[in-house]
Amino acid sequence: MLSAHITGIGWVNAASHGWGGQGRKFALTPGELPILSRAEVFAQSDRRFGRMDAFSRLGLAAVTYALRDAGLEEWREKRSIGLIAATSYGCLATDRDYFATVIPDGGALASPQLFAYTLSNTFLGEAALRFGLTGEALVVSEALPTGLAPLGLALENLAWESAAAMVAGLCDLVPPAGIPALPGLPPGAFFVVLERDMRTGVPDYGELRRDEDGRYRLAGVPVADLGELVTRSLAGRS
Amino acid sequence: MNRVCVVDTALVSAFGDGLPPLWDGLLAGRTAIAPLTRFAADRYLSQVAACVPGLKAESGESLLLPLLARLLDPLGSIPGDCRVLTATTKGGIDLLERRGRGELCPIEAVLPGALPTLVARRLGLADAGLNINAACASSTLALARGAAWIAAGTAEAVLVVGIDLVSEFVFSGFSALQALSKEASRPFDAHRDGLSLGEGAAALLLMSEPRARREGRTALGTLAGWGSANDANHITAPARDGCGLVLAIEEALAKAALTAAEVAAISAHGTGTVYNDAMELTAFTRVFGDRPLPVQSLKGAIGHTLGAAGAIEAIFALECLARGVLPPTVGLVEPEEAGRGRVAATAQSIQGDYLLSTNSGFGGVNAALLLGRPSC
Repeated sequence: MLSAHITGIGWVNAASHGWGGQGRKFALTPGELPILSRAEVFAQSDRRFGRMDAFSRLGLAAVTYALRDAGLEEWREKRSIGLIAATSYGCLATDRDYFATVIPDGGALASPQLFAYTLSNTFLGEAALRFGLTGEALVVSEALPTGLAPLGLALENLAWESAAAMVAGLCDLVPPAGIPALPGLPPGAFFVVLERDMRTGVPDYGELRRDEDGRYRLAGVPVADLGELVTRSLAGRS
Repeated sequence: MNRVCVVDTALVSAFGDGLPPLWDGLLAGRTAIAPLTRFAADRYLSQVAACVPGLKAESGESLLLPLLARLLDPLGSIPGDCRVLTATTKGGIDLLERRGRGELCPIEAVLPGALPTLVARRLGLADAGLNINAACASSTLALARGAAWIAAGTAEAVLVVGIDLVSEFVFSGFSALQALSKEASRPFDAHRDGLSLGEGAAALLLMSEPRARREGRTALGTLAGWGSANDANHITAPARDGCGLVLAIEEALAKAALTAAEVAAISAHGTGTVYNDAMELTAFTRVFGDRPLPVQSLKGAIGHTLGAAGAIEAIFALECLARGVLPPTVGLVEPEEAGRGRVAATAQSIQGDYLLSTNSGFGGVNAALLLGRPSC
C-alpha cells in the first residue's frame, strides 16, 4: 500500500481556474477553456508565458496554482520535486500548427519557436525551470485515461524516496477538429501536490492511498478518477 | 529489493533487423546515416538521416506499424501477465503530416496513448499499458520505471518498447533550431556541428530473478540501477555544468549500491551537438574524476533515434558487457579535449561488470541506467 498527503490543488477548466486555498467553486464542466493571461497566473512579469502554445500555458498555469496552494511556489535552492502529467491528446494542436509552418516553401519557414513545444513534456520543463524542480519529469498516456496513473507513479516515487514531493495530474485541451473524442475527463488541467509527510501551515486535503490491488482511496473512500479526487478533496478541505 | 534481469531483447535500426548488423557495422566503423529519400530535404540544413531499410506502410497506415511488427515478431514468448511500457516522442507523426497535406487517413496512431494498445494487442497481453514521453530520455525512463516495479515487487515481468520514426515533422524542427549536422554526426569530435536523426525501435523484456528462473529464462544481463533528474535550467538546451545528469547518475549509483569506481564504461547520449556533448563530458568528470573511463556514442552510426535511443543503447550496453568490448564512436576523428583518453575511433576493451548508459532531452530531462553482466 502506497500513500501520501495531498497538500496542494490547482486547476484550469471551463468552469473556473485557481487553487484550493482560494475557496473557489470547482466543477467538472465541459466547454471552452479560458485563455489565461500572464497576470492571471504570475504576479511577476514572465516574458515566455505569452509565447507558449496553449497546451503548455494550460498545464503550467495549473501546476503553478498547485504549487502556490502547497506553499511551494517561492524558492531559493533547487528542490527534489518531480512532475508527472497524463494526457490523451498531448500537444496535437501545437503539432498541427507547427506543421502548417512546414508545408509552405518546403520547410524553409518552419518555426523553431513552435517546434520546441511539440513535445508534450515541454511544459513540465517550463515548470521545472521556473520553480527549481529537479525531480523526475515525464508525461504518460493510456488508452482509457482516468487521470490516476500519474498519481500512482508519483506515489511510487515518494515511497522509493526518489523525490521530496511530487506534482501530478492531467492536462488536455479540447481535441482539435477531426480528432475523435476519447473517453475521460472534460478538457482542462488538474494537478495535485503529494507529500509523504504533512508540513505545518499547508492545506491537508486528505490522504491518498493506492491499495495492493491498484485501487485508489481518498481518506479511506474509493476514488474512480482524478476529477472525483479533486472534487472530493476540495469539498473536504480543512 | 528484487534483482532485475533482462531476459529477451529485440532491435531494429538503420543497419537492419537485430543486433548483429548494428554490432558489425560499429566494429567496422560504418555509419548508416545516408542521403534522405523519404521526403524532399533540399530546403533543410541537412539532407541525411539514418532510416530503417525496407520500411513500407500500407495505404493509410503509419510507418510505425511495420516498424513495430518487425520489432515484436522475433521476440520469444511474452508472459500473459506482463506489464507494458512504451516510449515514443512522436509516435505515428507521419499520419499528421499526411493529414496536413490534405490526405484522408486515420489519425488514431498519432495519439500518444495508442502505442501501448498496439503493442499489447499484437502480443495478446491483458495489460492496457502506458506510454512514457520524456523527450529523448523516454525509453530510458520507461526502463527505469519497469525496473523499479520489478525491484519493488509490483510486477514480475515488464516489456519496454521504445520507438520513433524519421519524419519531416521532426527533421524540419531540428533544422529550424540549427541543430542538424550537414554530414553524418560526429559525437564528441572537436569539430562536431550538430546531430543526425535516425529511426529505430527496441524492446526489452525485464523479469524478476525468481520469475526468470521459474520460466527457465537465461538472463542476458541485469538492470542494476536507474536515476532521473531535471536540469531546471532551459527547455531546449542542457545545463552547461551537467547538474541534472550528475544527479541522475548519482541516483543510479545509489540504487545499485555501487561506487563510481565500479563503472567500467559509458554509453553516452552523445548527440553530436556542441552543447550536449560538452555537458556530458563535464558531468562525467564531476562523477568519475579524471580516470580514463571509456565513453562511446552510437549516434554517429545510427543517428539520434529520439524516444527509442535509451532502449537501443541499453541492448547495446548489454552486448558490450558480454563481449568486453566498447565499439568505436563512428564519426569521431579528433576527440574534444575533455574527451581525450575516453572516446575513441577504435574499439576499447572493458574491464569491469557495469556499464552506465545516459540520455538527456528537451525539457531539461536527464536519465541514467546501470547495466550489469548476468552474474552481477
